[in-house]
Amino acid sequence: MLFKTFIQAEVNLCRRIFVRGLSTRSSWDIVTGVCVERLPVVTPPLNEMYKKYLDLQYTLEIEKSMKSDHEIRHENDKVQAELLKNESADVDIDAVSKITAQDFEDAANEELAQFKFASVETEADKKGDKTSLERCLQRHLVLVTPIKLGSDVKTLLPQGLWKEGETLRQTAERIVKEHCGPELKVQFLSNAPCGFYKYKYPSEVNGKIGAKVFFYYANYKSGKPSKTKADWLTRNELQQILPEKYNKSVKEFLIEESH
Amino acid sequence: MFNLSLLRQFSRLAICPATKLPISSRNIATTAAVQFKITDQLWAEPMKKKKKIDPAIVKAREERRRKKLEKQIRRLEKNARQLKPIDEMEVPLELLDNFNKRKRPQPKLTEEVIEARALLQKEWTRYKREEYMANVAQIDRIMGAQRRALDKLLEESEDLYNEAIMPDMQLIPYEVRGPVATPPIKGYASPDGEYIDVSKKWDN
Repeated sequence: MLFKTFIQAEVNLCRRIFVRGLSTRSSWDIVTGVCVERLPVVTPPLNEMYKKYLDLQYTLEIEKSMKSDHEIRHENDKVQAELLKNESADVDIDAVSKITAQDFEDAANEELAQFKFASVETEADKKGDKTSLERCLQRHLVLVTPIKLGSDVKTLLPQGLWKEGETLRQTAERIVKEHCGPELKVQFLSNAPCGFYKYKYPSEVNGKIGAKVFFYYANYKSGKPSKTKADWLTRNELQQILPEKYNKSVKEFLIEESH
Repeated sequence: MFNLSLLRQFSRLAICPATKLPISSRNIATTAAVQFKITDQLWAEPMKKKKKIDPAIVKAREERRRKKLEKQIRRLEKNARQLKPIDEMEVPLELLDNFNKRKRPQPKLTEEVIEARALLQKEWTRYKREEYMANVAQIDRIMGAQRRALDKLLEESEDLYNEAIMPDMQLIPYEVRGPVATPPIKGYASPDGEYIDVSKKWDN
């Protein structure tokens, strides 16, 4: 008798868990969001500490080094010039008339001065064009697109509903294609979602009370988003444009920038 | 016991060894059965007559074999001595010759400079430690976020969870190009330097 009641209780518990499992599954939409990030193209600027230590390392390196061929040549030139000035007998005319080390150095410096390095601040930075990938080369950029939620449109990471029969990773790949066109090539970094966000609909839609968003992380590889207006935003800009709680969930899985 | 020994006596003559025949007599001895097995007679063959070879031929054959071995050893020894030189590993003689000339006069460092350097080194170590701790905390945070997402997914659907934890084979081989010091110049044609291949050939 005791055994029977015990079993009965177990069965009831199992049924409750099962039913709850079924009901939660039907009352939340599963949504996949994709965080496409362009990694920095240029190394970040050095801070005070790095600059000081770099200086020290350079001086130490020179102190510990031996003299180079160029320096030896320069010294020899000096000796020859001295001899020439004193009109000494054993001046090697051939050695004097050739190009001195100093001349060579000057020419090399001039060539370097003529070479223009590309500026870290690009055209897009000057114009404030957020759709360009050529902006903020020293920072991480995250792709955001306008997303239709119910009746209003918000700027969020690209997202879309999960369809029966596909894995979440496949959903993520489909969403990138749907939102940004086939030209944009990205590299997903895992089959597993990296972040989670949950929100409720203002009123029930098809018996669903809200959506659970599973974020996937991908790195930008090549191409340009073509279909919709897509912005590439830095961390600070993300904070301004995304809803507060949403931004908190997104920030959770992104690398923090130290500069 | 008796008939077994008798059978063995004749087994040489029989085509089929009799001892192999199952002896169906039931063992009624109370002691444990003796587990000895007797091997069969092997069919012998008359010995072959030894072939006689001329000793000179044998000697010549031996000689030839020895010479061949010696030649191989010699070849191996010769190659062992001859290593392919690595030019880059050898210090050029002209550098060794004026070694003293190339020594840089060491600057006289004042107390303050030495002290400042030591302090900077310490400060740098502390800074790097902080940076490292921040990195570890960051990695923990990101891994925690993923763990939470996976837990939520498991609540939602076990199938999707199982798919999500599968290893991603598309990642291998993984190639990443790090950030560079200055941005690339668009449409920049790098000047082609001429070069002459001076590396020596070391074929055998």
